[in-house]
Amino acid sequence: MIITGDEILKYWRSGEIMIDPFTSDRLEPNSYGFRLGQDLKVYDDPILDSAKKSDSSSFNITDDGFLLMPDTLYLGHTHEKIGSPNFAMTLYGNRSTAAMGIWIQHSAPLGHIGSFGVWTLEIRVTQPVRIYREMTIGKIAFWCAVGKPSPYVGKYPASGRPVPSRISEEFLGGSGQKGGG
Amino acid sequence: MILTGSEIDRQVSLGKIEIEPYDANKINPNSYNFALGQELLTYEDNCLDVKTTPRVSTIKIGKNGHILRPGRLYLGNTIEKMGSGHFVPTFSARSSIARLGLFINLSASLGDIGYFGQWTLQLVAVQPVRVYAGMNIGQMMWWVPSGSIQLYDGKYQNSMGPCCSRIAEDFDTGSRDVSAK
Repeated sequence: MIITGDEILKYWRSGEIMIDPFTSDRLEPNSYGFRLGQDLKVYDDPILDSAKKSDSSSFNITDDGFLLMPDTLYLGHTHEKIGSPNFAMTLYGNRSTAAMGIWIQHSAPLGHIGSFGVWTLEIRVTQPVRIYREMTIGKIAFWCAVGKPSPYVGKYPASGRPVPSRISEEFLGGSGQKGGG
Repeated sequence: MILTGSEIDRQVSLGKIEIEPYDANKINPNSYNFALGQELLTYEDNCLDVKTTPRVSTIKIGKNGHILRPGRLYLGNTIEKMGSGHFVPTFSARSSIARLGLFINLSASLGDIGYFGQWTLQLVAVQPVRVYAGMNIGQMMWWVPSGSIQLYDGKYQNSMGPCCSRIAEDFDTGSRDVSAK
């Protein structure tokens, strides 16, 4: 079951939901409204290879904002560190950003129980849009789970910045298919 | 937990889910089909800024339909006014629509308990596709929440027709997409 805003507050207080920084003003009827962090990453090579590590360049969103261009994938991140040992999470854009033609994730809304950190956002735009750091950009929902939770042991634990895809590690025989966000 | 079609029908008859106009033939196994309205909005300026309210132009979909072009955002709306004070809504394209390469929302599928009105659809086509007013374009689902409920009281409440993004107001007044009161 998806939990209401009141319930998010209750479990934040009990430590079963972590959101940092947290303000109760950002509680929504059935989600928490998160903000955009200040770093963006863009892949350097226009052709990506899922079996190879892709180099990327970093950009800072300054006070003047940052102009996102179509046909480019930007990896951004949530301003907040968000996670939970007990609840599964799903992440969405909000009406306002979507109606500006902005995607913030690409068919991958599910976050795993046990993950905690800033969430990498896969940002793309339909037409050029200037965005600003710490703008409210999306919302995260928390879901009760059935069954005993197992700890998250994926490739993206405790992320602090946007993290490019690490799928190439799966081709090296190292890491399994347990990637979060 | 997601509501089944027969439960959606039952909750409509109990007044706990509002769908107007309502047609029991549009019930699916776990969702309700909604239809595309007659108006589309596009932004007049190619380059947008989330701090500036965009200027819009209106397209009326004629009886021969309207071709949606790639690389452009069109805002449409559901013909139906929909909402619930008891269940959490999410919406998606019908799979027949997705198979044409048409997005109807941009990573923003989660609605709020207590929102009532027509829903703005963010239409983006992967390749040119002709759409028609009144076609069944998407489906609304409802989920049972856990916890006490604070109803949506945000700036899009009771929307009619396609609504352009009001994200600029977040910067003017600090009001956000969603607020629970």
